[in-house]
Amino acid sequence: MLSRHFGGVRAVDGLDLKVEEGQIFGLIGPNGSGKSTTVNVITGLFPPTAGAILFRGQDIAALPTHRRLRAGIARTFQNIRLFGQLSVWQNLWVAQNSAEDQARQGFFARWLGGQRGVREEIRQLLEFSGLAHKQDELASNLAFGEQRRLELARAMAAKPRLLLLDEPAAGMNSEEIGQLRERILRLRERGVTILLVEHVMELVMGVTDRIAVLNFGQKIAEGSPTEIQAHPAVRKAYLGGEGK
Amino acid sequence: MLDFLQSLSDGVLFGATYALIGIGFTLVFGVMHKINMAYAAASIGGAYCGLLILKVMAGAPPALVFFCAFLSGGVLGAAVYVTCFHFIPLSSPLATLMSTVGMLLLVDEIVVHATDGMPQNYPAMFDDVMLRAGEFTMRGDLLLVFAVAVLCMVALLLVLYRTRLGLATRAVAQQPVAARLCGIRLERVNVTTFVITGLLGGIAGALIGASVGTLSPLLTTPLTVKGLIVTVIGGLGSIPGAIVAGLLVGGFENVLQLYRGVTERDLYVMLLLFVFLTFRPGGIFAPKGGRD
Amino acid sequence: MDFYFGLAQVIGVHTLLGLSAYIVLLTGQVSLAQAGFYAIGAYVAGMLTVLGGWHLVPALGASAVCGAAVACAVGFPALRVKGLMLVIATLAFGEGVRLFFFNFDYQIARGEIKVGPLGGEGFRQIRFFPENGWSTLEVMLFVWLFVVAAMALLWWFDRSRYGTVLRAVGEDELAAQSVGINLTAVKVSAMTVGGAIAGVGGGLYAHYTTHIEHSSFNILVATFAIAYPIVGGLRSVFGTLLAVVFVQGFLIEGLRFLGDWRNLLFGALIVLAMNLRPSGLLGTRRRA
Repeated sequence: MLSRHFGGVRAVDGLDLKVEEGQIFGLIGPNGSGKSTTVNVITGLFPPTAGAILFRGQDIAALPTHRRLRAGIARTFQNIRLFGQLSVWQNLWVAQNSAEDQARQGFFARWLGGQRGVREEIRQLLEFSGLAHKQDELASNLAFGEQRRLELARAMAAKPRLLLLDEPAAGMNSEEIGQLRERILRLRERGVTILLVEHVMELVMGVTDRIAVLNFGQKIAEGSPTEIQAHPAVRKAYLGGEGK
Repeated sequence: MLDFLQSLSDGVLFGATYALIGIGFTLVFGVMHKINMAYAAASIGGAYCGLLILKVMAGAPPALVFFCAFLSGGVLGAAVYVTCFHFIPLSSPLATLMSTVGMLLLVDEIVVHATDGMPQNYPAMFDDVMLRAGEFTMRGDLLLVFAVAVLCMVALLLVLYRTRLGLATRAVAQQPVAARLCGIRLERVNVTTFVITGLLGGIAGALIGASVGTLSPLLTTPLTVKGLIVTVIGGLGSIPGAIVAGLLVGGFENVLQLYRGVTERDLYVMLLLFVFLTFRPGGIFAPKGGRD
Repeated sequence: MDFYFGLAQVIGVHTLLGLSAYIVLLTGQVSLAQAGFYAIGAYVAGMLTVLGGWHLVPALGASAVCGAAVACAVGFPALRVKGLMLVIATLAFGEGVRLFFFNFDYQIARGEIKVGPLGGEGFRQIRFFPENGWSTLEVMLFVWLFVVAAMALLWWFDRSRYGTVLRAVGEDELAAQSVGINLTAVKVSAMTVGGAIAGVGGGLYAHYTTHIEHSSFNILVATFAIAYPIVGGLRSVFGTLLAVVFVQGFLIEGLRFLGDWRNLLFGALIVLAMNLRPSGLLGTRRRA
């Protein structure tokens, strides 16, 4: 039961979510229903007002953000937050902070060594996101779609077990959404669990295994995509409300 | 005990000038989210300009000198805005910080140059008046300083809360983007803020000159530091906070001067700041919890 | 010729001061505490050579350690506050250190005279170089040895993952946290390295001037420390060096023939430089 209140505003109120390993879990709801707050609480940007966050059996609610990443939770942002003055390559380089990376390299090699040891992994990430030809470009000079791809690759650089995608399709055309869908499915094949917060129904209904619907910080429904599409409360609160 | 009370009251009265300087820093911060490092220097500069009237009109009454300092402060405020803020993009906060520091040095040097580095006598009013209650006294000139400072604060609050201009200023401070969408011209609000803070600074500079008796460029550094400390203790962007903190710092430093001497006094003011930063980083009137 | 060697010493020490602020600025923090670390380094090294009879090299090592330790200790609480609050907090810390030395007496008798720091009078007779018969040229080379070492260190950082992480934190703290970077560790480490460099700079400064006092470490010095990297731009350590040469070589020495007017021009040129090149002399990369 997770809650986060801002003063009197109950952005997330008594939310209970369970994401199975290997699932692609969709989290949908109207604007302001608490989806992004949920992501921020899970990654530790805000402490929960009440409740616990269990990840692989451990309560991580007290861990600082960077420790949660090492435990295996990575994310992307709704409004892209890249390191604009660093190159594409460097954006991925600084993000290699998984527990595995930390254990593998010694302190000096990891912090003060050159770029040799990590080259291959970053090359694969660049390949995965189709940015190999732009590796030395400054992140701020990339086109919008490329920035979204880089941000996803940066989250993957931390080798997460759980990936939180906060509206990854916002502002994309349908061709780009198709590519994104491909990428998300490929990530699942690698065994990454995904929590997808999204408005674009085309994407959510196409890739998710299970969906929860939020409204006013509370869960109003949960089920498979087909169940959710047929759910009366959902149609009323969300799909109906937006005229779909 | 009497010594203590005497120091405290003198300090609090003089602290009114710190409050004015603190208000100046805090207003600019509130509207632009920038620190104007040149502010205390420009305030002292305004006070110097006030002295110019004595050159033109020998024997001008002190009130006229104060008024000239007030006006010149406003002009200097506008000048600082144009040279240090207007042409520098908002996305380069370091550049504005640096340019205001450059302006601080420039104003200081102009003063040194114009006065050959000699401290200038500053006219005071009511310096022969002394209120007495037994052994306890209140200097007339300090009371005047306090009264004028309070008058300025009341005037400022009236401008901020009773005029359209003040409404626009507060709107910009809270939501710059929304304010602009409502047709408020950001540029004009910014200039006005600098002029208003400049006017306050000019009068504060003159009051400091009057209560110290002389004016010297050596005053700018401590005044800059004290002003910033007052701003932090009061809470960045809070006008009532700056007023209370100004009086607090004034009283505190004067009491410590009594017990620990003038050389150690400022060390304790720094410690006071660190106590606040540690235990109440949001300042005296920090809201409890809430967003962010 | 000695004049130019002397100028090179000044430029060298100010470069160290600038570099100490450079590494902190990379993480997006504006610290006006550098003059404080510089002062601590100066007094520590001076007291060790004059009162303790140490050789200068280990004394400078002690300066670096003390500068780093104090910077680390200041870093933890100070870096909790952000942006402009940090500017003010570090400014007050620097002033606090200055005022401490203003009130600091520790003198011992050495033959006829008493030596050691004496409050507002300052700390005179730091005579390691003249006592050991170093020429101005030798002192200059000694100073530059440290400057080159510090520049090489920071240049290397810039190429390593550590330096890239510093810049990532400077760009976007929230994103940096979310990719697993420990903000506190990164910021405090930058502060510590900066403190060590400033400490060494202060130690060298104390020995080439032979006389230090609290006013040698005032806000102006703190401002200079951050001014060099800002004016030079944060793209590389060479920007800082260029800015020091520009300020100390050109603005202060080169314009000496202007007499009093030089000081006027100085402030005006900083204002002008920032208006024309907001991201520094060498900083051409602009945010989109």
